[in-house]
Amino acid sequence: MKIIKRTALAMACAGAMTVAANTAQAANWLMLQGTEPAGTAKPVRLWGFAQVEYQKDTSSTNSTGGYVPPKLLGPDLTSQEAFNVSRARIGVRGIAHPLDDMVNYFLLTELGNNGVTYTDRAVKLTDASITLNHVPMARVRVGLFKYPGAEEGLQAIHTTDYINFTEVSNQLLLERFPNRTYPTAGNVAPCDPTLTPSCNLNAFDRPVGAFRDVGVQVFGSTMIGDWETSYAAMIGNGNGLNYSDNDGNRDLYLYFSTEKVFGGAGPFREGLKLFAWSQSGKRIFDGDNNGTYDTYDRDRSGAGVKYLKKPWRVTTEYMTGKGMIWNGPDKPTWALTTGSGNPDASDNGLKAKGKGWYVEGGYYIPNSDWQLDLRYDFYARLDGARQQLDWKTVTVGAQYYINKKTRLTFNYAVRDITAINYGPAGTSGAPGSNPNDNLDGIKNRYGVQLTAIF
Amino acid sequence: MNNRARSVFATVLLVAAVSLSSSLHAADKERKVVLQISDASAEKQTLVLNVANNLQQHYGVDKVKIEIVAFGPGLRLLFKDNVNKDRVGGLAGRGVQFSACQNTVKGMTKLLGHPPAINDKAVSVPAGIARIMELTDHGYTLVRP
Repeated sequence: MKIIKRTALAMACAGAMTVAANTAQAANWLMLQGTEPAGTAKPVRLWGFAQVEYQKDTSSTNSTGGYVPPKLLGPDLTSQEAFNVSRARIGVRGIAHPLDDMVNYFLLTELGNNGVTYTDRAVKLTDASITLNHVPMARVRVGLFKYPGAEEGLQAIHTTDYINFTEVSNQLLLERFPNRTYPTAGNVAPCDPTLTPSCNLNAFDRPVGAFRDVGVQVFGSTMIGDWETSYAAMIGNGNGLNYSDNDGNRDLYLYFSTEKVFGGAGPFREGLKLFAWSQSGKRIFDGDNNGTYDTYDRDRSGAGVKYLKKPWRVTTEYMTGKGMIWNGPDKPTWALTTGSGNPDASDNGLKAKGKGWYVEGGYYIPNSDWQLDLRYDFYARLDGARQQLDWKTVTVGAQYYINKKTRLTFNYAVRDITAINYGPAGTSGAPGSNPNDNLDGIKNRYGVQLTAIF
Repeated sequence: MNNRARSVFATVLLVAAVSLSSSLHAADKERKVVLQISDASAEKQTLVLNVANNLQQHYGVDKVKIEIVAFGPGLRLLFKDNVNKDRVGGLAGRGVQFSACQNTVKGMTKLLGHPPAINDKAVSVPAGIARIMELTDHGYTLVRP
Protein backbone atom coordinates (compact mmCIF):
# COMPACT_ATOMS: atom_id res chain seq x y z
CA MET A 1 0.00 0.00 0.00
CA LYS A 2 1.43 3.31 -1.01
CA ILE A 3 0.57 6.54 0.69
CA ILE A 4 1.70 9.61 -1.16
CA LYS A 5 0.83 12.44 1.18
CA ARG A 6 3.49 14.83 0.04
CA THR A 7 2.61 14.48 -3.60
CA ALA A 8 -1.01 15.08 -2.81
CA LEU A 9 -0.22 18.10 -0.73
CA ALA A 10 1.95 19.57 -3.44
CA MET A 11 -0.74 18.92 -5.98
CA ALA A 12 -3.38 20.44 -3.81
CA CYS A 13 -1.25 23.48 -3.20
CA ALA A 14 -0.86 23.93 -6.91
CA GLY A 15 -4.52 23.26 -7.32
CA ALA A 16 -5.47 25.90 -4.85
CA MET A 17 -4.02 28.40 -7.28
CA THR A 18 -6.13 27.21 -10.15
CA VAL A 19 -9.32 25.83 -8.68
CA ALA A 20 -11.83 28.22 -7.22
CA ALA A 21 -13.31 26.81 -4.06
CA ASN A 22 -17.02 26.78 -4.64
CA THR A 23 -18.07 27.31 -1.07
CA ALA A 24 -20.84 29.73 -1.83
CA GLN A 25 -22.39 29.56 1.61
CA ALA A 26 -20.81 32.90 2.24
CA ALA A 27 -23.41 34.64 0.21
CA ASN A 28 -24.15 37.84 2.05
CA TRP A 29 -24.01 39.45 5.47
CA LEU A 30 -27.19 37.75 6.62
CA MET A 31 -25.80 34.35 5.78
CA LEU A 32 -22.19 35.10 6.70
CA GLN A 33 -23.07 36.22 10.20
CA GLY A 34 -26.13 34.11 10.85
CA THR A 35 -25.16 30.68 9.54
CA GLU A 36 -22.23 28.30 9.29
CA PRO A 37 -21.12 26.48 6.14
CA ALA A 38 -23.00 23.18 6.01
CA GLY A 39 -20.96 20.02 6.21
CA THR A 40 -17.71 21.75 7.11
CA ALA A 41 -18.31 23.89 10.21
CA LYS A 42 -16.67 23.01 13.48
CA PRO A 43 -18.37 22.95 16.88
CA VAL A 44 -16.01 25.66 18.12
CA ARG A 45 -14.09 28.13 16.02
CA LEU A 46 -12.16 30.82 17.84
CA TRP A 47 -11.88 34.06 15.93
CA GLY A 48 -11.50 37.78 16.35
CA PHE A 49 -9.64 40.88 15.30
CA ALA A 50 -7.90 43.94 16.65
CA GLN A 51 -7.75 47.47 15.30
CA VAL A 52 -5.18 49.91 16.60
CA GLU A 53 -5.10 53.44 15.27
CA TYR A 54 -3.58 56.84 15.43
CA GLN A 55 -5.73 59.83 14.54
CA LYS A 56 -5.18 63.55 14.51
CA ASP A 57 -7.83 66.24 14.25
CA THR A 58 -6.63 69.60 12.98
CA SER A 59 -9.64 71.67 14.08
CA SER A 60 -9.12 75.03 15.74
CA THR A 61 -10.69 76.15 19.01
CA ASN A 62 -14.12 77.75 19.18
CA SER A 63 -14.42 81.48 18.77
CA THR A 64 -14.85 81.76 22.53
CA GLY A 65 -12.30 79.09 23.38
CA GLY A 66 -12.71 75.39 24.07
CA TYR A 67 -13.95 72.75 21.66
CA VAL A 68 -17.17 71.23 20.41
CA PRO A 69 -17.21 67.43 20.11
CA PRO A 70 -16.53 67.14 16.36
CA LYS A 71 -13.18 68.77 17.02
CA LEU A 72 -12.11 66.00 19.39
CA LEU A 73 -11.48 62.29 19.00
CA GLY A 74 -14.07 59.85 20.27
CA PRO A 75 -15.09 58.12 22.31
CA ASP A 76 -13.21 60.01 25.04
CA LEU A 77 -13.42 63.49 23.48
CA THR A 78 -10.42 64.66 25.45
CA SER A 79 -7.83 65.04 22.76
CA GLN A 80 -7.19 65.98 19.18
CA GLU A 81 -4.37 63.50 18.73
CA ALA A 82 -4.22 60.01 20.14
CA PHE A 83 -3.40 56.36 19.75
CA ASN A 84 -6.33 54.10 20.48
CA VAL A 85 -7.17 50.41 20.52
CA SER A 86 -10.43 51.12 18.81
CA ARG A 87 -11.54 47.51 18.59
CA ALA A 88 -10.36 44.27 20.15
CA ARG A 89 -12.89 41.57 19.62
CA ILE A 90 -12.70 37.90 20.36
CA GLY A 91 -15.37 35.31 19.99
CA VAL A 92 -16.38 31.79 19.11
CA ARG A 93 -18.84 30.47 16.61
CA GLY A 94 -19.81 27.08 15.32
CA ILE A 95 -22.41 24.35 15.21
CA ALA A 96 -24.15 23.02 18.28
CA HIS A 97 -23.69 19.34 17.31
CA PRO A 98 -20.66 18.10 15.37
CA LEU A 99 -22.84 16.24 12.87
CA ASP A 100 -25.83 18.53 12.71
CA ASP A 101 -25.64 21.79 10.80
CA MET A 102 -29.20 22.72 11.66
CA VAL A 103 -28.23 24.71 14.74
CA ASN A 104 -25.35 27.17 14.96
CA TYR A 105 -24.27 29.90 17.34
CA PHE A 106 -22.23 33.12 17.34
CA LEU A 107 -20.60 34.78 20.34
CA LEU A 108 -18.43 37.91 20.24
CA THR A 109 -17.02 40.23 22.89
CA GLU A 110 -15.57 43.72 22.67
CA LEU A 111 -12.53 44.78 24.67
CA GLY A 112 -11.49 47.88 22.72
CA ASN A 113 -12.10 51.53 23.54
CA ASN A 114 -15.12 52.79 21.63
CA GLY A 115 -18.74 53.77 22.00
CA VAL A 116 -19.65 50.25 23.04
CA THR A 117 -17.32 50.13 26.03
CA TYR A 118 -16.83 53.81 26.83
CA THR A 119 -19.66 54.35 29.29
CA ASP A 120 -18.58 51.75 31.85
CA ARG A 121 -15.16 50.67 30.59
CA ALA A 122 -16.20 47.05 30.74
CA VAL A 123 -15.86 44.11 28.39
CA LYS A 124 -19.10 43.93 26.43
CA LEU A 125 -20.88 41.07 24.80
CA THR A 126 -21.78 42.37 21.35
CA ASP A 127 -23.19 39.20 19.82
CA ALA A 128 -24.81 36.15 21.34
CA SER A 129 -27.12 34.39 18.94
CA ILE A 130 -28.43 30.98 17.97
CA THR A 131 -29.70 30.16 14.49
CA LEU A 132 -32.12 27.36 13.61
CA ASN A 133 -31.65 26.36 9.96
CA HIS A 134 -34.35 23.73 9.58
CA VAL A 135 -36.23 25.67 6.90
CA PRO A 136 -33.72 27.15 4.45
CA MET A 137 -35.93 30.06 3.40
CA ALA A 138 -37.18 30.69 6.91
CA ARG A 139 -34.13 30.37 9.14
CA VAL A 140 -34.66 31.68 12.62
CA ARG A 141 -31.98 33.62 14.49
CA VAL A 142 -32.55 34.60 18.10
CA GLY A 143 -30.47 36.58 20.58
CA LEU A 144 -28.23 39.62 20.30
CA PHE A 145 -26.83 40.31 16.84
CA LYS A 146 -26.61 42.87 14.05
CA TYR A 147 -30.06 43.76 12.84
CA PRO A 148 -30.71 43.74 9.09
CA GLY A 149 -30.20 47.25 7.78
CA ALA A 150 -27.83 49.63 6.06
CA GLU A 151 -24.79 48.18 4.36
CA GLU A 152 -22.31 50.17 6.44
CA GLY A 153 -23.86 48.97 9.66
CA LEU A 154 -24.54 45.40 8.66
CA GLN A 155 -21.19 44.57 7.14
CA ALA A 156 -18.46 43.13 9.34
CA ILE A 157 -16.56 46.08 10.77
CA HIS A 158 -13.15 44.52 10.22
CA THR A 159 -13.83 44.41 6.49
CA THR A 160 -14.77 48.07 6.10
CA ASP A 161 -12.48 50.18 3.99
CA TYR A 162 -12.35 53.34 6.13
CA ILE A 163 -11.31 54.13 9.69
CA ASN A 164 -14.46 56.10 10.53
CA PHE A 165 -18.10 55.69 9.61
CA THR A 166 -19.81 58.15 7.33
CA GLU A 167 -21.50 60.96 9.25
CA VAL A 168 -24.92 59.78 8.14
CA SER A 169 -24.33 56.26 9.45
CA ASN A 170 -22.65 57.52 12.60
CA GLN A 171 -25.27 60.09 13.52
CA LEU A 172 -28.50 58.88 11.96
CA LEU A 173 -28.11 55.11 12.35
CA LEU A 174 -25.59 54.34 15.09
CA GLU A 175 -28.06 54.76 17.89
CA ARG A 176 -27.44 56.59 21.14
CA PHE A 177 -30.03 55.68 23.71
CA PRO A 178 -31.85 58.17 25.88
CA ASN A 179 -30.46 58.60 29.35
CA ARG A 180 -32.68 57.11 31.99
CA THR A 181 -33.34 60.53 33.48
CA TYR A 182 -33.35 64.03 32.13
CA PRO A 183 -29.80 65.26 32.75
CA THR A 184 -29.79 67.97 35.40
CA ALA A 185 -26.98 69.71 33.59
CA GLY A 186 -29.04 69.94 30.44
CA ASN A 187 -26.88 70.35 27.43
CA VAL A 188 -23.20 70.60 27.98
CA ALA A 189 -21.70 73.79 26.70
CA PRO A 190 -18.59 73.79 24.53
CA CYS A 191 -15.67 73.34 26.85
CA ASP A 192 -11.98 72.93 27.07
CA PRO A 193 -10.95 69.27 26.84
CA THR A 194 -8.60 69.81 29.74
CA LEU A 195 -11.70 70.22 31.90
CA THR A 196 -13.02 66.77 31.16
CA PRO A 197 -14.41 64.64 32.67
CA SER A 198 -16.11 67.38 34.66
CA CYS A 199 -17.00 68.97 31.39
CA ASN A 200 -18.38 65.62 30.27
CA LEU A 201 -18.50 66.11 26.55
CA ASN A 202 -19.96 62.63 26.27
CA ALA A 203 -23.05 62.90 28.40
CA PHE A 204 -24.76 59.66 27.47
CA ASP A 205 -24.91 56.97 30.12
CA ARG A 206 -25.28 53.86 27.97
CA PRO A 207 -23.32 52.28 25.12
CA VAL A 208 -24.11 52.98 21.49
CA GLY A 209 -26.36 50.50 19.76
CA ALA A 210 -23.57 49.16 17.55
CA PHE A 211 -26.21 48.36 14.88
CA ARG A 212 -27.41 45.51 17.10
CA ASP A 213 -30.52 44.49 18.94
CA VAL A 214 -31.90 41.58 20.94
CA GLY A 215 -34.74 39.80 19.21
CA VAL A 216 -35.76 37.21 16.69
CA GLN A 217 -35.07 37.31 12.97
CA VAL A 218 -36.51 35.18 10.18
CA PHE A 219 -34.37 35.17 7.07
CA GLY A 220 -33.44 33.27 3.96
CA SER A 221 -31.45 33.40 0.80
CA THR A 222 -31.81 31.62 -2.53
CA MET A 223 -30.01 31.52 -5.85
CA ILE A 224 -31.99 31.85 -9.06
CA GLY A 225 -29.57 31.61 -11.91
CA ASP A 226 -26.76 34.05 -11.16
CA TRP A 227 -28.95 36.14 -8.88
CA GLU A 228 -29.11 35.64 -5.17
CA THR A 229 -32.13 37.04 -3.41
CA SER A 230 -32.27 37.46 0.35
CA TYR A 231 -34.69 38.78 2.89
CA ALA A 232 -34.89 39.28 6.63
CA ALA A 233 -37.59 40.36 9.03
CA MET A 234 -36.78 40.97 12.67
CA ILE A 235 -38.53 42.04 15.82
CA GLY A 236 -36.31 43.37 18.58
CA ASN A 237 -36.35 45.17 21.89
CA GLY A 238 -35.05 48.34 20.28
CA ASN A 239 -32.60 48.73 23.10
CA GLY A 240 -29.26 47.98 21.45
CA LEU A 241 -26.68 46.19 23.57
CA ASN A 242 -28.69 46.85 26.71
CA TYR A 243 -30.18 43.36 26.62
CA SER A 244 -33.57 43.91 28.16
CA ASP A 245 -36.56 45.76 26.88
CA ASN A 246 -37.07 49.09 28.61
CA ASP A 247 -40.36 50.33 27.27
CA GLY A 248 -42.63 47.49 26.15
CA ASN A 249 -42.30 48.59 22.52
CA ARG A 250 -40.75 46.49 19.79
CA ASP A 251 -38.68 47.55 16.80
CA LEU A 252 -39.50 46.08 13.41
CA TYR A 253 -36.66 45.60 10.94
CA LEU A 254 -37.17 44.66 7.29
CA TYR A 255 -34.48 43.94 4.71
CA PHE A 256 -34.39 42.83 1.10
CA SER A 257 -31.52 42.39 -1.31
CA THR A 258 -30.88 40.86 -4.66
CA GLU A 259 -27.43 40.38 -6.09
CA LYS A 260 -26.00 39.29 -9.40
CA VAL A 261 -23.09 37.14 -8.32
CA PHE A 262 -19.96 37.43 -10.41
CA GLY A 263 -17.90 34.95 -8.42
CA GLY A 264 -15.89 34.24 -5.31
CA ALA A 265 -17.14 33.81 -1.79
CA GLY A 266 -17.10 35.45 1.60
CA PRO A 267 -17.03 39.13 2.50
CA PHE A 268 -15.36 40.07 -0.75
CA ARG A 269 -17.51 38.05 -3.09
CA GLU A 270 -17.88 39.93 -6.34
CA GLY A 271 -21.29 41.01 -7.47
CA LEU A 272 -23.82 43.75 -8.05
CA LYS A 273 -26.12 44.05 -5.06
CA LEU A 274 -29.29 46.09 -4.75
CA PHE A 275 -30.72 46.44 -1.27
CA ALA A 276 -33.38 48.25 0.72
CA TRP A 277 -34.26 48.27 4.39
CA SER A 278 -36.36 49.91 7.04
CA GLN A 279 -36.70 49.95 10.78
CA SER A 280 -39.38 51.44 12.96
CA GLY A 281 -39.69 51.65 16.71
CA LYS A 282 -40.41 53.82 19.68
CA ARG A 283 -38.25 55.25 22.44
CA ILE A 284 -39.16 56.63 25.81
CA PHE A 285 -37.61 59.74 27.28
CA ASP A 286 -38.59 62.60 29.54
CA GLY A 287 -38.40 64.96 26.61
CA ASP A 288 -40.35 67.78 28.23
CA ASN A 289 -38.49 67.44 31.53
CA ASN A 290 -41.60 67.07 33.67
CA GLY A 291 -40.56 63.91 35.46
CA THR A 292 -42.54 61.44 33.35
CA TYR A 293 -41.59 59.41 30.32
CA ASP A 294 -42.99 60.19 26.91
CA THR A 295 -42.91 58.01 23.82
CA TYR A 296 -41.27 59.11 20.59
CA ASP A 297 -41.12 57.44 17.20
CA ARG A 298 -37.83 56.39 15.72
CA ASP A 299 -38.00 55.43 12.05
CA ARG A 300 -35.19 54.83 9.60
CA SER A 301 -35.07 53.57 6.02
CA GLY A 302 -32.70 53.41 3.12
CA ALA A 303 -31.68 51.82 -0.15
CA GLY A 304 -28.44 51.35 -1.97
CA VAL A 305 -26.29 49.60 -4.53
CA LYS A 306 -22.95 47.91 -4.15
CA TYR A 307 -20.78 46.85 -7.08
CA LEU A 308 -17.59 44.88 -6.65
CA LYS A 309 -15.58 43.42 -9.47
CA LYS A 310 -11.91 43.82 -8.98
CA PRO A 311 -10.13 46.06 -9.56
CA TRP A 312 -13.19 48.30 -9.00
CA ARG A 313 -15.67 48.81 -6.18
CA VAL A 314 -18.51 51.33 -5.97
CA THR A 315 -21.11 51.70 -3.22
CA THR A 316 -23.85 54.24 -2.76
CA GLU A 317 -26.69 54.44 -0.29
CA TYR A 318 -29.41 56.91 0.61
CA MET A 319 -30.87 57.03 4.11
CA THR A 320 -33.58 58.94 5.84
CA GLY A 321 -34.81 59.11 9.41
CA LYS A 322 -37.58 60.57 11.48
CA GLY A 323 -37.56 60.98 15.23
CA MET A 324 -34.77 60.64 17.78
CA ILE A 325 -32.33 62.70 15.73
CA TRP A 326 -29.15 62.73 17.75
CA ASN A 327 -27.52 66.13 18.16
CA GLY A 328 -24.12 65.13 19.44
CA PRO A 329 -22.54 63.34 22.39
CA ASP A 330 -22.99 66.43 24.58
CA LYS A 331 -26.72 66.65 23.88
CA PRO A 332 -28.37 63.95 26.01
CA THR A 333 -31.67 65.82 25.73
CA TRP A 334 -31.53 65.55 21.93
CA ALA A 335 -32.05 69.30 21.92
CA LEU A 336 -29.85 72.18 20.99
CA THR A 337 -29.81 75.06 23.45
CA THR A 338 -33.25 76.55 22.94
CA GLY A 339 -35.04 73.26 22.44
CA SER A 340 -34.43 71.78 25.87
CA GLY A 341 -37.62 70.62 27.49
CA ASN A 342 -39.65 71.34 24.38
CA PRO A 343 -39.89 68.37 22.02
CA ASP A 344 -41.78 70.43 19.49
CA ALA A 345 -39.05 73.05 19.14
CA SER A 346 -37.43 72.99 15.72
CA ASP A 347 -34.00 72.38 17.19
CA ASN A 348 -35.13 69.44 19.29
CA GLY A 349 -34.23 66.13 17.68
CA LEU A 350 -36.93 64.07 19.38
CA LYS A 351 -39.41 64.72 16.57
CA ALA A 352 -37.04 66.00 13.89
CA LYS A 353 -35.83 64.53 10.62
CA GLY A 354 -32.51 63.66 9.10
CA LYS A 355 -31.33 62.42 5.74
CA GLY A 356 -28.12 61.69 3.98
CA TRP A 357 -26.23 59.64 1.46
CA TYR A 358 -22.79 58.56 0.48
CA VAL A 359 -20.94 57.31 -2.53
CA GLU A 360 -17.62 55.58 -2.29
CA GLY A 361 -15.30 53.71 -4.55
CA GLY A 362 -12.20 51.60 -4.42
CA TYR A 363 -9.49 50.62 -6.83
CA TYR A 364 -7.43 47.51 -6.14
CA ILE A 365 -4.13 48.18 -7.84
CA PRO A 366 -3.45 45.07 -9.93
CA ASN A 367 -0.45 42.93 -8.99
CA SER A 368 0.15 44.91 -5.85
CA ASP A 369 -0.83 44.90 -2.21
CA TRP A 370 -2.31 48.39 -2.41
CA GLN A 371 -5.85 49.59 -2.62
CA LEU A 372 -7.09 53.16 -3.09
CA ASP A 373 -10.36 54.45 -1.64
CA LEU A 374 -12.41 57.60 -2.03
CA ARG A 375 -15.67 58.51 -0.31
CA TYR A 376 -18.05 61.45 -0.18
CA ASP A 377 -20.78 61.54 2.42
CA PHE A 378 -23.48 64.03 3.22
CA TYR A 379 -25.79 64.29 6.20
CA ALA A 380 -28.52 66.86 6.85
CA ARG A 381 -29.15 66.83 10.59
CA LEU A 382 -32.45 68.36 11.76
CA ASP A 383 -33.44 68.42 8.13
CA GLY A 384 -35.73 71.35 7.38
CA ALA A 385 -35.32 72.94 10.81
CA ARG A 386 -33.86 76.31 11.64
CA GLN A 387 -30.86 74.54 13.18
CA GLN A 388 -30.22 72.23 10.24
CA LEU A 389 -26.58 71.30 9.98
CA ASP A 390 -25.14 69.97 6.74
CA TRP A 391 -22.18 67.67 7.17
CA LYS A 392 -20.03 67.11 4.10
CA THR A 393 -16.98 64.89 4.22
CA VAL A 394 -14.55 63.75 1.56
CA THR A 395 -12.31 60.89 2.65
CA VAL A 396 -9.28 59.88 0.67
CA GLY A 397 -7.79 56.55 1.64
CA ALA A 398 -5.25 53.89 0.86
CA GLN A 399 -4.82 50.41 2.23
CA TYR A 400 -1.76 48.23 2.25
CA TYR A 401 -2.17 44.50 2.79
CA ILE A 402 0.73 43.14 4.79
CA ASN A 403 -0.93 39.80 4.28
CA LYS A 404 -4.49 38.70 3.65
CA LYS A 405 -5.38 39.06 7.31
CA THR A 406 -3.39 42.15 8.21
CA ARG A 407 -3.60 45.57 6.64
CA LEU A 408 -2.86 49.23 7.15
CA THR A 409 -5.52 51.82 6.39
CA PHE A 410 -4.58 55.44 5.74
CA ASN A 411 -7.35 58.07 5.71
CA TYR A 412 -7.45 61.80 5.21
CA ALA A 413 -10.89 63.36 5.73
CA VAL A 414 -11.77 66.85 4.56
CA ARG A 415 -14.74 68.07 6.58
CA ASP A 416 -17.17 70.91 6.13
CA ILE A 417 -20.06 71.44 8.57
CA THR A 418 -22.44 74.35 8.17
CA ALA A 419 -25.58 75.63 9.86
CA ILE A 420 -27.23 76.45 6.57
CA ASN A 421 -29.81 78.88 7.97
CA TYR A 422 -27.22 81.11 9.59
CA GLY A 423 -24.74 83.51 8.10
CA PRO A 424 -21.03 82.86 7.90
CA ALA A 425 -19.02 82.67 11.08
CA GLY A 426 -18.54 85.97 12.86
CA THR A 427 -21.31 87.76 11.02
CA SER A 428 -24.03 87.85 13.63
CA GLY A 429 -23.86 89.21 17.13
CA ALA A 430 -21.48 88.18 19.84
CA PRO A 431 -18.93 85.42 19.23
CA GLY A 432 -20.55 82.04 19.71
CA SER A 433 -24.10 83.26 19.11
CA ASN A 434 -23.97 81.93 15.57
CA PRO A 435 -23.53 78.13 15.30
CA ASN A 436 -21.12 78.67 12.46
CA ASP A 437 -18.77 80.44 14.86
CA ASN A 438 -17.97 77.00 16.30
CA LEU A 439 -18.54 74.90 13.20
CA ASP A 440 -16.23 76.99 11.08
CA GLY A 441 -13.22 75.75 12.99
CA ILE A 442 -13.93 72.06 12.31
CA LYS A 443 -11.10 71.05 10.06
CA ASN A 444 -9.60 67.99 8.51
CA ARG A 445 -8.77 64.74 10.23
CA TYR A 446 -6.26 62.08 9.32
CA GLY A 447 -5.24 58.73 10.70
CA VAL A 448 -3.71 55.35 10.19
CA GLN A 449 -5.16 52.08 11.42
CA LEU A 450 -3.68 48.60 11.68
CA THR A 451 -6.15 45.74 11.44
CA ALA A 452 -5.23 42.16 12.29
CA ILE A 453 -7.73 39.33 11.95
CA PHE A 454 -7.30 35.86 13.33
CA MET B 1 34.89 5.21 -35.38
CA ASN B 2 36.54 2.20 -33.88
CA ASN B 3 34.76 -0.87 -32.59
CA ARG B 4 34.78 0.32 -28.98
CA ALA B 5 33.22 3.64 -29.94
CA ARG B 6 30.58 1.88 -32.06
CA SER B 7 29.75 -0.39 -29.16
CA VAL B 8 29.28 2.54 -26.73
CA PHE B 9 27.17 4.44 -29.26
CA ALA B 10 24.94 1.41 -29.82
CA THR B 11 24.49 0.94 -26.10
CA VAL B 12 23.47 4.57 -25.65
CA LEU B 13 20.98 4.27 -28.48
CA LEU B 14 19.52 1.10 -26.98
CA VAL B 15 19.13 2.65 -23.55
CA ALA B 16 17.51 5.74 -25.03
CA ALA B 17 15.10 3.62 -27.07
CA VAL B 18 14.12 1.55 -24.05
CA SER B 19 13.62 4.68 -21.94
CA LEU B 20 11.49 6.34 -24.60
CA SER B 21 9.38 3.22 -25.00
CA SER B 22 8.99 2.95 -21.26
CA SER B 23 7.87 6.56 -20.84
CA LEU B 24 5.46 6.32 -23.76
CA HIS B 25 4.02 3.23 -22.14
CA ALA B 26 3.77 5.08 -18.82
CA ALA B 27 2.02 7.99 -20.51
CA ASP B 28 -0.58 5.65 -21.98
CA LYS B 29 -1.09 3.71 -18.80
CA GLU B 30 -4.36 4.30 -16.96
CA ARG B 31 -3.77 5.59 -13.44
CA LYS B 32 -5.94 4.44 -10.59
CA VAL B 33 -6.12 6.47 -7.41
CA VAL B 34 -8.20 6.11 -4.29
CA LEU B 35 -8.46 9.25 -2.15
CA GLN B 36 -9.25 8.84 1.52
CA ILE B 37 -11.25 11.45 3.43
CA SER B 38 -11.72 10.57 7.07
CA ASP B 39 -11.26 14.04 8.55
CA ALA B 40 -14.03 16.52 9.30
CA SER B 41 -12.17 19.72 8.58
CA ALA B 42 -13.22 22.06 5.82
CA GLU B 43 -9.62 22.33 4.67
CA LYS B 44 -9.33 18.57 4.18
CA GLN B 45 -12.56 18.51 2.21
CA THR B 46 -11.31 21.24 -0.10
CA LEU B 47 -7.96 19.49 -0.38
CA VAL B 48 -9.33 16.12 -1.43
CA LEU B 49 -11.57 17.74 -4.06
CA ASN B 50 -8.66 19.82 -5.33
CA VAL B 51 -6.48 16.72 -5.61
CA ALA B 52 -9.13 14.87 -7.61
CA ASN B 53 -9.58 17.84 -9.88
CA ASN B 54 -5.88 18.28 -10.43
CA LEU B 55 -5.27 14.62 -11.12
CA GLN B 56 -7.85 14.84 -13.88
CA GLN B 57 -6.30 18.00 -15.23
CA HIS B 58 -2.82 16.53 -15.13
CA TYR B 59 -3.50 13.13 -16.69
CA GLY B 60 -6.74 13.78 -18.51
CA VAL B 61 -10.21 12.71 -17.42
CA ASP B 62 -10.02 9.44 -19.33
CA LYS B 63 -6.52 8.57 -18.18
CA VAL B 64 -7.08 8.39 -14.46
CA LYS B 65 -9.67 6.52 -12.42
CA ILE B 66 -10.42 8.24 -9.15
CA GLU B 67 -12.50 7.05 -6.26
CA ILE B 68 -12.98 9.13 -3.13
CA VAL B 69 -13.83 7.02 -0.10
CA ALA B 70 -15.40 8.90 2.80
CA PHE B 71 -15.68 7.41 6.25
CA GLY B 72 -15.61 8.53 9.86
CA PRO B 73 -15.89 12.31 10.25
CA GLY B 74 -14.92 12.60 6.60
CA LEU B 75 -18.37 11.38 5.61
CA ARG B 76 -19.58 14.97 6.13
CA LEU B 77 -18.16 15.70 2.68
CA LEU B 78 -20.97 13.59 1.29
CA PHE B 79 -23.75 15.13 3.35
CA LYS B 80 -26.52 16.25 1.07
CA ASP B 81 -26.33 19.95 2.05
CA ASN B 82 -22.55 20.19 2.24
CA VAL B 83 -21.34 23.51 0.85
CA ASN B 84 -19.12 21.54 -1.55
CA LYS B 85 -22.04 19.65 -3.06
CA ASP B 86 -21.71 21.43 -6.40
CA ARG B 87 -18.06 20.45 -6.66
CA VAL B 88 -18.92 16.87 -5.70
CA GLY B 89 -21.56 16.86 -8.43
CA GLY B 90 -19.13 18.30 -10.95
CA LEU B 91 -16.44 15.72 -10.24
CA ALA B 92 -18.99 12.89 -10.24
CA GLY B 93 -20.10 14.11 -13.64
CA ARG B 94 -16.51 13.73 -14.82
CA GLY B 95 -16.25 10.15 -13.63
CA VAL B 96 -15.02 10.44 -10.07
CA GLN B 97 -16.72 7.92 -7.81
CA PHE B 98 -17.69 8.96 -4.31
CA SER B 99 -18.10 6.11 -1.84
CA ALA B 100 -19.95 6.55 1.45
CA CYS B 101 -19.16 4.17 4.30
CA GLN B 102 -22.30 2.52 5.63
CA ASN B 103 -20.66 1.68 8.94
CA THR B 104 -20.19 5.38 9.45
CA VAL B 105 -23.75 6.09 8.38
CA LYS B 106 -24.99 3.63 11.01
CA GLY B 107 -22.83 5.22 13.70
CA MET B 108 -23.97 8.71 12.80
CA THR B 109 -27.58 7.57 12.79
CA LYS B 110 -27.20 6.62 16.44
CA LEU B 111 -25.64 9.97 17.29
CA LEU B 112 -28.12 12.04 15.34
CA GLY B 113 -31.25 10.05 16.06
CA HIS B 114 -31.90 9.81 12.32
CA PRO B 115 -29.85 8.85 9.27
CA PRO B 116 -27.80 11.68 7.79
CA ALA B 117 -29.00 12.83 4.37
CA ILE B 118 -26.36 11.67 1.89
CA ASN B 119 -25.52 13.22 -1.48
CA ASP B 120 -27.27 11.46 -4.35
CA LYS B 121 -23.98 11.19 -6.20
CA ALA B 122 -22.47 8.97 -3.52
CA VAL B 123 -22.36 5.18 -3.77
CA SER B 124 -22.83 3.17 -0.60
CA VAL B 125 -20.05 0.80 0.40
CA PRO B 126 -20.33 -1.49 3.43
CA ALA B 127 -17.08 -0.34 5.02
CA GLY B 128 -14.91 2.50 3.83
CA ILE B 129 -11.62 1.07 5.02
CA ALA B 130 -12.38 -2.32 3.47
CA ARG B 131 -13.22 -0.58 0.21
CA ILE B 132 -9.83 1.10 0.23
CA MET B 133 -8.08 -2.23 0.78
CA GLU B 134 -9.99 -3.81 -2.09
CA LEU B 135 -9.06 -0.96 -4.39
CA THR B 136 -5.39 -1.07 -3.47
CA ASP B 137 -5.43 -4.82 -4.10
CA HIS B 138 -6.62 -3.95 -7.59
CA GLY B 139 -3.76 -1.62 -8.29
CA TYR B 140 -5.11 1.65 -6.94
CA THR B 141 -2.68 4.00 -5.30
CA LEU B 142 -3.94 5.25 -1.96
CA VAL B 143 -3.55 8.97 -1.36
CA ARG B 144 -4.63 10.54 1.88
CA PRO B 145 -4.39 14.30 1.42
